[in-house]
Amino acid sequence: MAERRRLAKNRFMFIRPPPRQPKQTWLWLAPYAAIGIFALAMLILTGLLQWREKDTALSALEGDMHWAERTIEARLRAHQDFLTELGREQEFRQLTYETFQVRASRYVRDNPEISAIIWVSTDGKVEWVAPNESTATFVGEQLTGIRLSALQEALRTRRELFSPDYAGADQRRANDLILPVQQGSADLGAFIAMQSLEGLLRVTLPTSFTSRYSLSVVDAENREVFSNSSVRPTDRRISGTISLDLPSNRLGLNIVAYRSGGAWLPFVPAALIVFLTLIATATLLQLRRHARRRAETEEQLRAAYAFRQAMSQSLVTGLRAIDLDGRITFVNAAFCRMTGFEEAELVGVAPPYPYWPPEEFDQLQRNIDQALAGQAPPGGFEMRIMRKNGERFDVRLYFSPLIDAGGQQIGWIASMNDITEPKRARVELERAHERFVTVIDGLDTAVHVADAQSGEILFANRAFQHIFGFDTVGRDSALVTAACRPAPEALALDPSDIDPFTLPVEIFDGEIQHALSGHWYHLHERAIRWVDGRTVRVQLAADITDRKHIDEVNLQQQKRLEQTSRLITMGEMASSLAHELNQPLSAIANYCAGCVKRMQAGNYKLEDLLSAMQKASDQAERAGKIIRRMRDMVKKSDPNRQPIALAELLDEARAFADIEAQRTSTQIVVDLPENLPKIVVDRIMIEQVLLNLIKNGIEAMHDTPVERRRLSISARQIDERMLQVEVADNGHGLAEEDVEKIFAPFYTTKQEGMGIGLAICRSIIEFHQGHLWVEARRDGGTVFRFTVPIEEIDDE
Amino acid sequence: MSEQKQTIHVVDDDEAMRDSMTWLLEGEGYTVACYDSAASFLAARNDNMRGCIVLDVRMPEMSGLELHEKLDALGSPLPIIFVTGHGDVPMAVSALQRGACDFIEKPFNNEELLSRIKRALELDCQLAARRQRDSIIEHRLEQLTQREREVMQLVVAGKLNKQIADELDISMKTVEAHRARVMEKMGVRTLAELVKAVMTVN
Repeated sequence: MAERRRLAKNRFMFIRPPPRQPKQTWLWLAPYAAIGIFALAMLILTGLLQWREKDTALSALEGDMHWAERTIEARLRAHQDFLTELGREQEFRQLTYETFQVRASRYVRDNPEISAIIWVSTDGKVEWVAPNESTATFVGEQLTGIRLSALQEALRTRRELFSPDYAGADQRRANDLILPVQQGSADLGAFIAMQSLEGLLRVTLPTSFTSRYSLSVVDAENREVFSNSSVRPTDRRISGTISLDLPSNRLGLNIVAYRSGGAWLPFVPAALIVFLTLIATATLLQLRRHARRRAETEEQLRAAYAFRQAMSQSLVTGLRAIDLDGRITFVNAAFCRMTGFEEAELVGVAPPYPYWPPEEFDQLQRNIDQALAGQAPPGGFEMRIMRKNGERFDVRLYFSPLIDAGGQQIGWIASMNDITEPKRARVELERAHERFVTVIDGLDTAVHVADAQSGEILFANRAFQHIFGFDTVGRDSALVTAACRPAPEALALDPSDIDPFTLPVEIFDGEIQHALSGHWYHLHERAIRWVDGRTVRVQLAADITDRKHIDEVNLQQQKRLEQTSRLITMGEMASSLAHELNQPLSAIANYCAGCVKRMQAGNYKLEDLLSAMQKASDQAERAGKIIRRMRDMVKKSDPNRQPIALAELLDEARAFADIEAQRTSTQIVVDLPENLPKIVVDRIMIEQVLLNLIKNGIEAMHDTPVERRRLSISARQIDERMLQVEVADNGHGLAEEDVEKIFAPFYTTKQEGMGIGLAICRSIIEFHQGHLWVEARRDGGTVFRFTVPIEEIDDE
Repeated sequence: MSEQKQTIHVVDDDEAMRDSMTWLLEGEGYTVACYDSAASFLAARNDNMRGCIVLDVRMPEMSGLELHEKLDALGSPLPIIFVTGHGDVPMAVSALQRGACDFIEKPFNNEELLSRIKRALELDCQLAARRQRDSIIEHRLEQLTQREREVMQLVVAGKLNKQIADELDISMKTVEAHRARVMEKMGVRTLAELVKAVMTVN
């Protein structure tokens, strides 16, 4: 089991990149160099050995040669000595034929190279032959040719000599050893030993010698006389020459060593070495080629690996390989990204995997068991797994068998897609649709879509259905909306004749009143391309009845505000005029005082005084202008007195003051008796007074507890001409000394006040022949009262 | 210090006011200088000016109060009389809190203005005299050697000659000599005068 696992793991080694080896071309040269050097050394060694062998052979030859020379010479000398002995006995006539016969026959028998020893007369006639049975010659035979001349030469020189060789009786080369015998100056004859050179050599040299060397005998002219050479090849390099010093016949003996073994033998080692070197080189070349092919394959493998790696890393699909036991053998980057685990944390892990959420263990274990059994559904498993940070997400896992290079299944590869996003998108889309419908239905604006040609209503929101009735979809828009529909001539263009290429296009934008309900609608209609491509009319009808009402109210208020602001501006103007008046008045005072001082002191020039007085009068004129300007302004805002109900004025004043009252949680209580007569006043002026008093009251209660912030306004008729209005607060009240001062212009008890409000109020009331005064309330707070004239109906 | 004549500097944007003020004050024998804005006064002023400033609170561009702040920052010693209109009361109050000399409300009583100017000029005189006196004493103090200063401080602290000698580890005679030279250099005759001079400066 463990073995199999290890094996499986090893099979996955291919996913590791092959190690990149540095290219070392010089390393490849080393074996070649080694082979070359080795071959060279071997060749030299072989040469040396052969040279030494030859040397040894040469010295052996030399030794053998000398030995042979001595042996041959000794033999020949022995022959000479024997013949000489015979000759001496013949000279002194002591030798008989019988003795000769005995001695010579014995000698011939002992020396097989000698075929016969003969005694010849001086003219070359054979007289004795020993042994007598010899077939080489016979008695009475006459020597001829070279044999005779050799005999005569020997007789003439009186010295023994060897005749040149001649063909013997048995056709073998032979020569004669001639020993002339003289007695005094007379020649007696000569003893001749007929010997065969071949026999001589055979007898003198042992077989061990002849088997090693090829022998040839050459004469003085270096003509080969005899050779024992066989077909065996000779080694010309190992040869020597002996000269056999025979009397009057110089013979040479050439010795050539036989080759030991074939002629090719010395070349065998060298040839072998060359052959082996060639084989080694060829093998090396082959190896090299193999290695290169291997390196190329490795390179391709590396490229393929890198490509595969890049592919697997760039995939957005997570890949995970497991072996047959479910142990993870490989995960790609996308898988790690999805799960949040490191590669090292996953590889080698068996189920349960770390990204299994605990609550899904059973389901996932079933899935993996099913997958390992090869029964994974082709559509993959949809399951929920867990990131490292505990976040759950949905994935779809497809299984396929993992086959190794040998076609054997070694595990399963699974691709994993994060389907959270698509799932979310689907849900999102549904929700978006829901939202759209909710929003459209939630609108107050009635929305409906109708076919431009047939008028069939394709879509209507809730607001539309509320106005025009439910179950309108599918009916004719013209009939449904008949009560609230712009006249055909009011449309910008004919809806049934719209060029589809100009869409979207505006058809109508305007306000229209519902004929039945009286509501006002802002109708906005345009032609657009519907979802199925046809031209439709989209109509939005916003109920603007309330807005129209508010607009009217706002318009009225705006008018009132403008009038009020004119009054306020007048007050400010008065204040700034007062400031302006200060300048000329002060200047006049200064000029006058300066004149008075000078005149009192009696130290003056008349023209100076005149000039100063002139300037003073200029300043007086300036003051007059300011006054005139003020009067002009007051004239413009000449009060417009009209009979009006106090309640109406109060309502309007309260409309302004309510904001402030609400802000400060002040309760304004108005208590007016029934049937109050109308008052004859300038509406805006009295409103301003009321507003001023209400605001003052509210501000005075700034420090009053909220529950006691109560401003009461009441009124009553005090006589036939006047009405008295009362504004009472529960504020801080007024100090005794303030009661009169507060009406003085520019007196204020407030931080931001100008100090003109009450002064103006009093002016306004007095302008209306009324009075404005203030009283402290017993229970704290202040009450302002003013009187205004009432309408006198009967007096007219 | 070059002594300048006391001048009343009138700063007001209204031409009639400047002119009438000049007429009034020259009638009283004062020297008057007029400026039509705070900026023109700032351009003309120097540290040696004497007298007082009659300053209108409401002026375009730089108001009287802003000018007051600037002058304070520049260390001007001139007393300031603010002239205010209605509604400027809180402004004037804050100016007084900042150390203005006085303020007068328009339209003003001439006698009142004149009496305030007189008071301001007296204040200016006192300030000038004090500045002068202080500078003389300071000058004299600078003349003293280190040792004389030490002796003087001990003398002013009420130490007896013997105590001083012990404290400074010098002889009585030396102390007496130093003391005599201090009195001479400071131009005083009695110990009381010396103490007064030193106290004024400190």
